[in-house]
Amino acid sequence: MHIPDGFLSAPVAAAGYAASAAVLALAVKRSGQTLEERQVPLLGVTTAFVFAAQMLNFPVAMGTSGHFLGAVLAAVLLGPLNGCLVFAAVLTLQCLLFADGGLTALGANFFNMGVVGGVGGYALFRLATALLPRSRRGFLFAAALASWISVVASASACAVELALSGTVPLGLVLPAMGMVHAIIGIGEAVITVATLSVILAARPDVVGEWRGPSPVLLVGETSS
Amino acid sequence: MTARNRASVPALDPRAKIVAMVAALILCVSTPAQRYTTFAAYFAVLVAAFALSGVSARVLARRLLAVLPMMLLCAAFIPFLHHDTVGGGYSLSFGGLHLSRSGLLVLWNIAIKASLGVALVTLLNETTPFPLLLRGLEQLRCPRLGILLLGFCHRFLFVLRDEALRMKRAADARGFQGRWLWHAPVVGRMIGALFLRGYERGERVYLAMASRGFNGGMPAAETPPALAPADRVFLGGALAVFLVLRIALP
Repeated sequence: MHIPDGFLSAPVAAAGYAASAAVLALAVKRSGQTLEERQVPLLGVTTAFVFAAQMLNFPVAMGTSGHFLGAVLAAVLLGPLNGCLVFAAVLTLQCLLFADGGLTALGANFFNMGVVGGVGGYALFRLATALLPRSRRGFLFAAALASWISVVASASACAVELALSGTVPLGLVLPAMGMVHAIIGIGEAVITVATLSVILAARPDVVGEWRGPSPVLLVGETSS
Repeated sequence: MTARNRASVPALDPRAKIVAMVAALILCVSTPAQRYTTFAAYFAVLVAAFALSGVSARVLARRLLAVLPMMLLCAAFIPFLHHDTVGGGYSLSFGGLHLSRSGLLVLWNIAIKASLGVALVTLLNETTPFPLLLRGLEQLRCPRLGILLLGFCHRFLFVLRDEALRMKRAADARGFQGRWLWHAPVVGRMIGALFLRGYERGERVYLAMASRGFNGGMPAAETPPALAPADRVFLGGALAVFLVLRIALP
């Protein structure tokens, strides 16, 4: 889903950068109030985690595989704005270190995955948790739903941008991308749920959105 | 990522290389697709740059392969694009599908520009160790929070990647095949364990840094030195070459 250089027309690429810059400026400004710069090391490790998690491919059907996106996972763990910062860093590193995703398309790529996938998925997650019973099961179901939709929505945004650039015809590519990613999204949802339930079992205190019971602190463990 | 070569390009100031790369990239990507001579000239310049800097073509080839799926995806839709024959072009049709000149032009456009983009980024990061690249970006006044975040992430990236690969190897050794969608929960549990290990490592690192007096800031960057003559020559030369190719050639 990483768009390379040259796939987007200049106006679409510029619009992607403008939208991304606006969201990131908001995220940096808001995180300046809630996130102390002291937490940057932790955020850095989480960014590296998303990066490493994306390297574990999962099978989709025979032969093809998709990789984990993690936009909803990052937002549920860290909050939407920190999730945004993490995703901006992941995409920038992938672009600068491995030439994965074009530098001129970086704005659009961040918009698709960080904003549409992360912030959009998070909004849906909040809506779902408000409607569903406040239990572990409801929490995980909301995460599954949000992560499935985040993948489909990211792919659709990508398809719309490619079509606006005149690279592909919209009427065909949108259903095609949507259908492929509806399957990839199942893998995303399953992985997000499995990951969250492991973390909820071991360290529920680090799941920012979890409002359930906290773990019993072991003697000698710091509580901050 | 370390620079694997000791040729003349690594000695240049990262700022000069960053600005030259970004400018060249924007010029390449904004070139109209029909200007084949210009693209041939870009290609020649990049071949020369790769030869001079000693960056291996294997690295480039591996990264170009990564672009291929996206390219194939778009290529699959070319027959459905623009049912026309622009400018005395041709239209091959088989079973209702058309291969039109403008469709082929779209394919050429994305193929050449994606390749040039990958080549330019590869040239930059293979000749510049990442910490130097970050310092260059900082001196070019990129936001400090972003630079700080990228720096920390880069430090842990390879640690966590190795952790992930060890888990993968352990799963492989136990006969995990991962061929079907219902194997995905196993990957999910691996990712959960990866997160916990990474997070707890992050906490330990933060506590270690805090106990050594870290309070959010990195030592203030010294006023960046002016570009050396060699850097100016390189930057000026690169900008001039790409501008001339972009504007003057047909």
